[in-house]
Amino acid sequence: MAQPVNALNNFNPGELERPDSSLLKYYALISLLTGPGIVVMFLPLFFKYETLRYKFEDDGMSMSWGILFRHEIHLTYRRIQDIHLSRNLIQRWLGLATLSIQTAAGSASPEMNIEGILKPEQLRDYLYSKMRGARSLGEDGEQHPHDEALTLLREIRDLLRKRS
Amino acid sequence: MSGLEKTTEWVYRGIWGVLTNWFRVPSEPPALPLAPGEHLQSFRPSEGFLRYLKFRFWVLLFVVDIALLIAWLGITAASFLIGLWLAPLALAVIVLPDIVAYAAIHLRYDTTWYVLTHRSLRIRRGIWVIHETTITFENIQNISLESGPLERWFGIANVIVDTAGGSQEKSSHGKPKENFHRGIIEGIDHPDEIRDLILNRLRQSRSSGLGDEHTTAPAWGTQHVAILRDIRDSLRQP
Repeated sequence: MAQPVNALNNFNPGELERPDSSLLKYYALISLLTGPGIVVMFLPLFFKYETLRYKFEDDGMSMSWGILFRHEIHLTYRRIQDIHLSRNLIQRWLGLATLSIQTAAGSASPEMNIEGILKPEQLRDYLYSKMRGARSLGEDGEQHPHDEALTLLREIRDLLRKRS
Repeated sequence: MSGLEKTTEWVYRGIWGVLTNWFRVPSEPPALPLAPGEHLQSFRPSEGFLRYLKFRFWVLLFVVDIALLIAWLGITAASFLIGLWLAPLALAVIVLPDIVAYAAIHLRYDTTWYVLTHRSLRIRRGIWVIHETTITFENIQNISLESGPLERWFGIANVIVDTAGGSQEKSSHGKPKENFHRGIIEGIDHPDEIRDLILNRLRQSRSSGLGDEHTTAPAWGTQHVAILRDIRDSLRQP
């Protein structure tokens, strides 16, 4: 059922650093499906699994993987354009999902594919709550507690009035 | 309800049971996190969409089956014996894919969900690969409404929302790949309502939908101008 935004508070993505071990199972299974291609398929995936690291911070996230070719991606939550969650049959059996994050960059393929997270829906809803537009529209506009320019102008006017 | 319909219903429930239990296809609509006081509406494509899909299916079926029948008749005319041998095979080729396709249409319809709140939309689609797209209205760049003559006949239309950065790459087969910067609300019968809802939200948003913050330097408003005018006036009269 629909969960309120504050129900997400007990979900802490900061604890997520490594993909779950079922991701390795998933990689093994999809390599198996290729038949003779298993070695060619599985080795890079194995190393990807071994080196995959996630880092979720308050305003952004990053992921990195690779031994020979290192990859590192950083993005801020506010710049997320859309979130895609896709699950194929094997992933559903293992409780996994691919969470694709899109920013406004021109590529048609997603900027970041998060794999091997056991609670993909919770992570998605966490990212959603951090995304622009997920909270009230006015909330961000009302962040200046006092308008310094206005106060200064008022002071100048009052000083001038006193002098005249 | 006729006997045939009952059987179809029963078989279909059975398929759904297998799907939800073995293939982990969720049977309930997707949810979205809600802020207090918000409500969520979830809906499927309209009945017209189902009729539209079925109609397209029947037309295609008719064409293909007629072609197959003519081919079989040709073979039978050339050699009656081969034709007789081929008869069960031809029947299987004509009938079996139709049943599968018919079930697929219903499943496609039943697994498509659209969820709207005041701030965002979520689209779920697919059976083998279940795909869920989440887009906040704040990030939408444009909305388009599309409907072909056949779709209009069935009273349905597609609402397409695009977010920034959408470029559609062609894959090597020339078939366009799935566009991740796009959400398609397919086959609904109240497209105007949905369009207005999203457009209203778009108008309220002052940003360009590219991740820019609202917290830029405060612009000088009417209050500032009023005080500046006061300052000028008090400077004018010495």
